[in-house]
Amino acid sequence: MNSASAPFDSALFPEGVKRCKFKWFLFWVAVVHGPLMVGVIAMLMCWGLALNVTYLNNNYPFGLWIAADLGIIALGAGAFFTGFLRYIVNIDELKNIVNYAVVIGVVCYAAAQGILGVDIGQPLRGWFIFWHANVHSMLTEVAFCITCYFSVLCIEYLPLILENRQLNKLGFFHGMAHHLHGAMPTIAAVGVFLSFFHQGSLGGVPGVLYGRPFAYREGFLVWPWTFFLFILSAIACGPCFTILCTWITEKCAGKRLVKRNVIDILAKISGRLLVLYLVLKTLDTVYWVVIAEKVGAPLSSFYANQPFGYWVLITELGILGVIPAIILLNAKARQNENILIIACILNCSGIFMNRWIMTVQALAVPVMSFDKFISYRPNWIEYASTLMFVWLGVVVIMLSYRYLPIFPQEKELNPS
Amino acid sequence: MKLDRRTFIEIIVGLSAGAGGGLMATPVNWKLMDDMTIWSQELWPRYQLGGLKGRLPQQGKVTHADSVCNLCPGGCGITVRKVGDRAIKIEGREGYPVNDGGICPLGAAGLQLLYGPWRIPSPLKRIGKRGSGNFEKISWDEAINEVVQKLGNLRQKGQSHTVACILGSDEGTVPRLFDRFLTAYGSPNFIRTASAEDTYELALGLMQGTTGSVGYDLERANFILSFGSGLIEGWGSPVRVIQAHSTWRSGDLKDRATVVQIEPRLSNTAAKADNWHPINPGTEAALALGLAHVIIKESLYNADFIEKHTFGFEDWSDSSGKTYMGFKRLVRTVYTPEAVSKITGLPAKKILTLARAFAKAKRPLAVWGRGKGTVSGSLYECMAVHALNALTGNINKPGGVSARPQVATRSWPEVERDATAWSGSRRPRIDGAGSNRYPLTRYLPDRWSQVMNGGKAGAIQALLVHEADPYYTTLDSAAVAKAFDAIPFVVSFSTCLDETAYHADLILPNHHYLERWEDIPTPVGLQKPILGMLRPVVSPQFDTRYAGDVLMTIAKSMGGSVASAFPWDDYETLLKETMGDKWGTLEKAGYIVNEGYKPSAWSKAFGTPSGKFEFYITAFDQAGVKIGKDVGYLPHYEPVQPEGNPATYPLILIPTELMRLADSAVGNPPFCTKTLEETELKKNDLFVEVNPKTAADYGLSEGHHAMLETAKGKAKVLVHLFEGIMPGVIGIPKGLGHAAYDDYLAGKGVNANSLIGVVEDPVTGLSAAWGVRAKLTRV
Amino acid sequence: MKEVHHKADEHHGAHKKTYKFGMVIDLDKCTGCGACMVACMAENNVPFRKDNSDRLRSNLWMRVYKISNGRPFPDLDISFIPRPCQHCEGSGHHHTPCVSVCPATATDYSHETGIVSQVYTRCFGCRYCMAACPYHVRVFNWWDPTWPKGMEKYLNPDVSVRMRGVVEKCSFCYHRYQRAKNKAYAEGRRELHENEYQTACTQACPAGAITFGDLKNPEHKVYKLKKSRYAFRLLEKLGTNPKVYYVSTRDWVRKAGDAYAGEEPKGVTHVTHA
Repeated sequence: MNSASAPFDSALFPEGVKRCKFKWFLFWVAVVHGPLMVGVIAMLMCWGLALNVTYLNNNYPFGLWIAADLGIIALGAGAFFTGFLRYIVNIDELKNIVNYAVVIGVVCYAAAQGILGVDIGQPLRGWFIFWHANVHSMLTEVAFCITCYFSVLCIEYLPLILENRQLNKLGFFHGMAHHLHGAMPTIAAVGVFLSFFHQGSLGGVPGVLYGRPFAYREGFLVWPWTFFLFILSAIACGPCFTILCTWITEKCAGKRLVKRNVIDILAKISGRLLVLYLVLKTLDTVYWVVIAEKVGAPLSSFYANQPFGYWVLITELGILGVIPAIILLNAKARQNENILIIACILNCSGIFMNRWIMTVQALAVPVMSFDKFISYRPNWIEYASTLMFVWLGVVVIMLSYRYLPIFPQEKELNPS
Repeated sequence: MKLDRRTFIEIIVGLSAGAGGGLMATPVNWKLMDDMTIWSQELWPRYQLGGLKGRLPQQGKVTHADSVCNLCPGGCGITVRKVGDRAIKIEGREGYPVNDGGICPLGAAGLQLLYGPWRIPSPLKRIGKRGSGNFEKISWDEAINEVVQKLGNLRQKGQSHTVACILGSDEGTVPRLFDRFLTAYGSPNFIRTASAEDTYELALGLMQGTTGSVGYDLERANFILSFGSGLIEGWGSPVRVIQAHSTWRSGDLKDRATVVQIEPRLSNTAAKADNWHPINPGTEAALALGLAHVIIKESLYNADFIEKHTFGFEDWSDSSGKTYMGFKRLVRTVYTPEAVSKITGLPAKKILTLARAFAKAKRPLAVWGRGKGTVSGSLYECMAVHALNALTGNINKPGGVSARPQVATRSWPEVERDATAWSGSRRPRIDGAGSNRYPLTRYLPDRWSQVMNGGKAGAIQALLVHEADPYYTTLDSAAVAKAFDAIPFVVSFSTCLDETAYHADLILPNHHYLERWEDIPTPVGLQKPILGMLRPVVSPQFDTRYAGDVLMTIAKSMGGSVASAFPWDDYETLLKETMGDKWGTLEKAGYIVNEGYKPSAWSKAFGTPSGKFEFYITAFDQAGVKIGKDVGYLPHYEPVQPEGNPATYPLILIPTELMRLADSAVGNPPFCTKTLEETELKKNDLFVEVNPKTAADYGLSEGHHAMLETAKGKAKVLVHLFEGIMPGVIGIPKGLGHAAYDDYLAGKGVNANSLIGVVEDPVTGLSAAWGVRAKLTRV
Repeated sequence: MKEVHHKADEHHGAHKKTYKFGMVIDLDKCTGCGACMVACMAENNVPFRKDNSDRLRSNLWMRVYKISNGRPFPDLDISFIPRPCQHCEGSGHHHTPCVSVCPATATDYSHETGIVSQVYTRCFGCRYCMAACPYHVRVFNWWDPTWPKGMEKYLNPDVSVRMRGVVEKCSFCYHRYQRAKNKAYAEGRRELHENEYQTACTQACPAGAITFGDLKNPEHKVYKLKKSRYAFRLLEKLGTNPKVYYVSTRDWVRKAGDAYAGEEPKGVTHVTHA
């Protein structure tokens, strides 16, 4: 690519960066739209034909959707947590990645709400959660915080859009972006507060289910221990997801976009938080075994039925917890990009698995002695409609990358 | 103030945002949204119901109407809740002498039968091949004319005896009308569908010299010994027996009645029983006699009754001095606990314990009739069980057995038969009942089809079926289908498209049981006389007519003595006249009961040749029954061999009957099918119960598909591993495998009757089959 | 919170009659016939489908569980456990499991009757309540309800028909309470007679195994029955505090219900199979 053959939409690109030809961009956007459309069809089937098209049932009122929802929101925690570190803790280097963290956050939170919209099967009535709100329900807390935080994320995303080279030429937008930047610490602070709450309430969702000894936890005031564990696990893995997304973007773009030291800061913080999380999670697990035993549910009963055997516990905490923690704490290991990425993948998978366990396995474990264990696997409709939002996110990221100044260091790292 | 472009834009944006925000803040639009959402929820189901197309149910005043349920011979009182003209719920009638407020699942789902799509809307005539299910609507006049013509022709040709009627009952005005029609028309072939009553009537007739079937004073018994009867699974009058079961389960533990179940499978009855003794299937008679052995040996029997009121207990000699073996000697010599243990598989010790517990109980009661009592069964087995009641003197006593009494109604004038009627009705019956071979038996419902297939294909030229579904309920379905094919003219009076109606040439739909008047005689197994009255709860939903009216119209159109046998204007007139002075009470209260009824004292109870209870059946010789050997006059164990070669068919298949699955002439309504367990029906496949040990022998696991094969047919089934069934035995539920009805029932499972053939009882000719040999292979 | 409510109830007792409706189900009498299930479906306009064989998606407000002692032939034993909504009261700091989680207040605990309600028009189908209920009493409408032509005639006008995407469950036939209450008020009575308000399953049960009434009224049959030494509640240890009691003289049945988790009340003689 040389400047002579610059793409026709190059005027919209951020200052001084190169992008692929428009037709190639269009081609890849079209490719992504393939599975996205399958997802749209799946979603329309859910709404049009009712939820019998899924593999959900009365034993598994929650399935892939809810697990994915919780997982995606945890992964999106990179947005608020990076914002927190950048604007409140004032780790200045992070300004080089915070934009991208925000984009990922917007994508994740939009996806989470979208998935919920499909999951309830009655999106027309979804707003009842606000209108007839039950303040005791963790889900109400989640809904309010997520919606508010999504608005915050949009506000955080807005200046990025306004900073598009052409839009920014309009004085009003320029000024608005400028002012929003100035307000960013305050907005970030609001976002952090909201995020802590909804990450926590998401933990509360399974944690308060005292009818399900597998999920139930005692806690502090109205918040079960899972409330705090979910916050911690989210901020322990969010940065890793940001790293992972950056790495993937770099691979796709074929160039460096963020300096290694920035990545390293995130990885280090992630590692430390992960260790803290693992310690607390272990304590929680031990205490959980004790209280569950008290209500007549010995640990063995939780892991009596495949595919939910003890391997689940070992995989979640060991392979997907301890291993990435060790890697992330070790400076040398972090320097090796491949190892770092493996750690990030393990960490993110760990969070996903945790959310799956806390929702789906929590329902899988029979409570009444005469309940039969029933296995569940999602069908293509559930997969497709969930992944639809991932593909949608990919499109948003592609557009953002092409037209918005997401990576401040890109120009410096890739001199023309 | 200068208004530049930028400020202008700012103001516009600000105002829009403000207005938008302000509007969002007012509750008005939220309220509107709320309303709209609620409307959407109300409208959508209405749309689903077809409300927009005028199918929305009517509102109206809530009223209650009392009637009687006749979906089974149980005869429960029901109260139907109505809104306007709609019946919306069937409930048990409180205070009714049969069921006092209780109701069974089938009865509670009755409205699905009333309003279901399986109803026959008007007279239908078959078009196309029989069994193709293609019918066209015709008028009542056309339909009746067709019957008149067909039957008239047959009569003219002197073939009136080739007309047969199959009904589910022979009691009450409607069955009697059909019987009367045949008498006047000239045919002996009134057939009642099979039930345990067939055999019980004969056993009581022979041993006690009474007519009619059996009544049990279940409520007052305190030791119930059941030989495979599904006491809480639809046996007898189902709700009444379940209520008796609750009586047994009330009060302090030590005062409660004891229930013992003899059955090769852990049925619900067995599970609820205090003791369950699984024995080899078909060996019940041996066990009963083994128990008799212990009771006699240990002198635990009621000596007063045995000595004064029985005949044939001890050895006896006739006037010529010939000595005959009595029951005592037979039982003492042959049925020792060890010998019986060998036959039944029950340890001798358990036989001893059980016999003592039974005989020493205050009011013991032995009951007979497998499952719901839908098969005839073996005469000697019935007699052996009944002998236990005799040994304990448990006849015509509180907590005992007696003949089922009826409330007397007015008799009808004698039919004046013309020559054709006389000659026709004197011809031998097609099923062979009452013939030299089976002189005692009145109906052989499982035999007529076998006779037809055995070279007498033309024996039935016309068949009228009312409140019965012989095409479905008769054993050996393939043989029945073949026999049906040979009948040129089949008329069904069914309200719904059951299997028989489906294979009929003409359907003349009767009013549904909630749309008509009809008398319901004492329900099966009751020991007190009860007369219930069906009454129209709703007006007829379709173009239907009383079967009685249709039959009388047919008779009247035929003229002559056939017509004059029916002097009544219509069925309702006939009903009122027949009820006589009882009509007032019946119309008002809905039933008549004689709570104070007491069966005759022992001295006057027995109408046998000896005037006593007979262990030795003297009536056999009187009736001309050919009994080959001496023991044949006594209750004894004569193995009924299940059909099939043991080498080819190593397993035993037994039918099982479920409370939630109607298996008689009434198709299971959707609500009841919905309550079936996951281990009974899965999609369109039924499960057979197999002991895990047996399953392991054949490499089968839970949920496997398997091919179940008997000498009569084969079917693909699912395997359910059940520790409650004897190794080597397979249980198959009855009531599925319908081809008729509709998508809610048709095509689900297989008909157990298609796998089981008839094994004729040597004395009665009734089917004594309790199962069949089978093999199970994985597919 | 809960305690305060209750005191308030007692305090205002003179003004507003409160009840604690509950059931005692005698498992010795229950024959598993299924009449309760059918009566419930008929009373509450519960839909059915051509194929209902998948229990995981079947809509049964009242479900009769068939449970076994798991022993091999011939020691196998079977019992039935009819399971309506348990109408949990909650205990200590726990609310009713489902009520506290519903985000849209579509299910509520009535302190007047002790009945856990379900507001169909408010439910938006998140199914959180189903996850919260350990008894599986809550069912989701995976399909729109449909009735074959003609069958809509038997629909009960007292109970609304629920559309797809809505969670529903046993209401202790709340509409019957409303009818009874209206009747009593019209007759100038504040209090309902015991027989005036009975659920459809109670009324139908041919075995008379279900007894329904006010658990806190010493004159009602349930008051005495629930005190039987053989009485237990399902998953009692969880602290859901259900208002459905069961009675069984068979020890394994009580254990299966998790009443004593292995401990037995003293002086109990067991009826066992020989």
